[in-house]
Amino acid sequence: MGVETRADTPPAPQRRRRPRLDLTTPTLLGPPLAWLAVFFVVPIAIVGAYSVNALSFDPGPHAVTLSAWHSFLHSSIYLKLFWKSVQMSLLVSTAVVLLAYPLAYFLALSGTKRKYVLLLLLIAPFLTSYLLRVLAWKVILGNEGVINSFLVWTGLRSPDHPLSQLLYSRFAVMLVLGYIWLPFVALPIFVTLESLDRRLFEAATDLGASRWQTFRRVTLPLSLPGVVAAFLFVFIPTLGEFVTPSLVGGASGYMYGNQIVDLFGTGFPDWQTGSVLALFLLGVVALLTIVFSRFLNSREVTAA
Amino acid sequence: MGEGTEPLERRLGRDDFLKLAAVVGGAGLVVGPTAVAEAARVRLAKESGRLQVLDWAGYGNDGGQAMFAAYVKKHPQNKPRFTYMTNESDALAKMHAGLKPDLFRPYVGWVKYFAESGLVEPWNPKLIPSFKNLNPFMVKAGQYKGKQYGIPQDWGFDAILYRSDKVHPKAKSWGLLFDERYKGRIAWFDDLNMLVIAGLYLGFPRPWRQTDAELSKAAKFLSSKKHLARMLWASETDMDNAFASGDIWIAYAWPNDWVQMKAKKLKVVYMHPKEKPIAWVGMLMLGKDTPRRGLAHAYADAWSSAPSARWLENNYGYGHANTKARPSSSDLLRALQLANPKAVTEPNAHLDRDIPRRAVYARKWQEVKAS
Repeated sequence: MGVETRADTPPAPQRRRRPRLDLTTPTLLGPPLAWLAVFFVVPIAIVGAYSVNALSFDPGPHAVTLSAWHSFLHSSIYLKLFWKSVQMSLLVSTAVVLLAYPLAYFLALSGTKRKYVLLLLLIAPFLTSYLLRVLAWKVILGNEGVINSFLVWTGLRSPDHPLSQLLYSRFAVMLVLGYIWLPFVALPIFVTLESLDRRLFEAATDLGASRWQTFRRVTLPLSLPGVVAAFLFVFIPTLGEFVTPSLVGGASGYMYGNQIVDLFGTGFPDWQTGSVLALFLLGVVALLTIVFSRFLNSREVTAA
Repeated sequence: MGEGTEPLERRLGRDDFLKLAAVVGGAGLVVGPTAVAEAARVRLAKESGRLQVLDWAGYGNDGGQAMFAAYVKKHPQNKPRFTYMTNESDALAKMHAGLKPDLFRPYVGWVKYFAESGLVEPWNPKLIPSFKNLNPFMVKAGQYKGKQYGIPQDWGFDAILYRSDKVHPKAKSWGLLFDERYKGRIAWFDDLNMLVIAGLYLGFPRPWRQTDAELSKAAKFLSSKKHLARMLWASETDMDNAFASGDIWIAYAWPNDWVQMKAKKLKVVYMHPKEKPIAWVGMLMLGKDTPRRGLAHAYADAWSSAPSARWLENNYGYGHANTKARPSSSDLLRALQLANPKAVTEPNAHLDRDIPRRAVYARKWQEVKAS
């Protein structure tokens, strides 16, 4: 039974519609925008005011000055520390992406029925606290930790000469950061790979491509947006990291984020310089995001 | 006039006058403190809410309860609420960020700074009955311009702790912190005091008041030796754990660390360097315009009492300003030199003191850390 339509039926007179105020968009966008304004834009503005001495830690009159910015940009110490942190974050991000890609590839494309179970196992460490996961590494990496005890037990090291570089070192910071952020990297890559159209692989095979060629010419380029997103997911937070370095970094694992924390608190408070360092970090991260976003196909990432 | 004065003179002869003075004086002695106590009681009754204490980890509800148990017993409605500070700079930052503690605990080198900062006000020692038992030298160290800004409490030394089974110092010197033979086994203190230590080691005449050239030299020296330090500790627990697990053998340490390591049966020595250790005295300071002034005094009194002092010495291995307290361990008594009322100063130790250019020192220390 269908709806019968009669061609000769005169069209019903259209009711004159009064223009209605559409409140959907402001209603939906208002609260998050207000949240962003109050808890992001305003604090950034306050930090900005501190950086030019418009607001100051010291009571009494104070003039607006760019001296802290000038000192920072001409200080080899702070910029060197920033570069050291960039290097560490780059190494961690690259290593983690290289490790996570095959993992995500296997989970997404191997056809295993248990892929979601395996995925759950991958993210299982997130069910425990961040701090606990970092501290657990101290037990593993210490001079009398799991690794050194094993090395002593096997006779590879003497008890008086354990591998002391494992803990309180730059290596320890990078290792723990890599461990912490691995699932964050694996997930976006997994989702990108899983959403790929399988017919493309069949077409590649039909056209005579080997598995390696299919990967290199089809899979990898199509999964790049996920890879770039994953890389950023790690690089941005690790660049400003300070908890992990303070727990396992020791004297040599000190990072740029630690310096900011020190300037705001535990060192003698110097909020002006601290604000400059924080804003510089924010600026670099924003710039990197803009640059990297050119590599991202927003539609595909959204799908991911 | 003469007629009028005669009976009075007769009534108030010398003997009579002395008797009257004694009676009035005696009454004053009885009524005076009673009146003061009554005034304090009335004031205390008016104070409400929980006492806001800004203190170091280990001195609050995380193990230090015995030190203020008497206060809690007397004022169960005004139990202390703790915020923790990692050092004085941290306390300063927190207070500038809006925290208003009723009282907090900087150390002796910061008395002048805080007294001048406008963040604190002087105590009234008359409201602290145990005050009379506090070490007079330390009491004086808590004064600024004649007013009692700091009530002395815990005290101890900054010196070197080392494993005697692993480390063989060439000399009793701060130089052990910079000994190349023990690279990767050394822990420095994460504080600008390291510049003072470098100054002592390098033989500067006034390590707390270094000139620009001296400060640069000290910072350069520390930067050149930083590769030897495995950790810069800000948390005593972190350092203790690293020491106990064998990750480090030599540390800039406090007496409590020596007590802790001995308890773990480690062979440790708490060295008294030839350049002398730095001594510190914890000073309870009263927040400016605190609404719980009386309660804060009661809290300081609980901390100042002899039982609290004994507990601190026995359990934390620190000295206490209350001269009536003595630890039960003779080892500790000897190490802290508790029989010496001036153990915290020359010729035994350098009492920590104000650093007029603290901000400059801090910047240099940050540079060392970032190097």
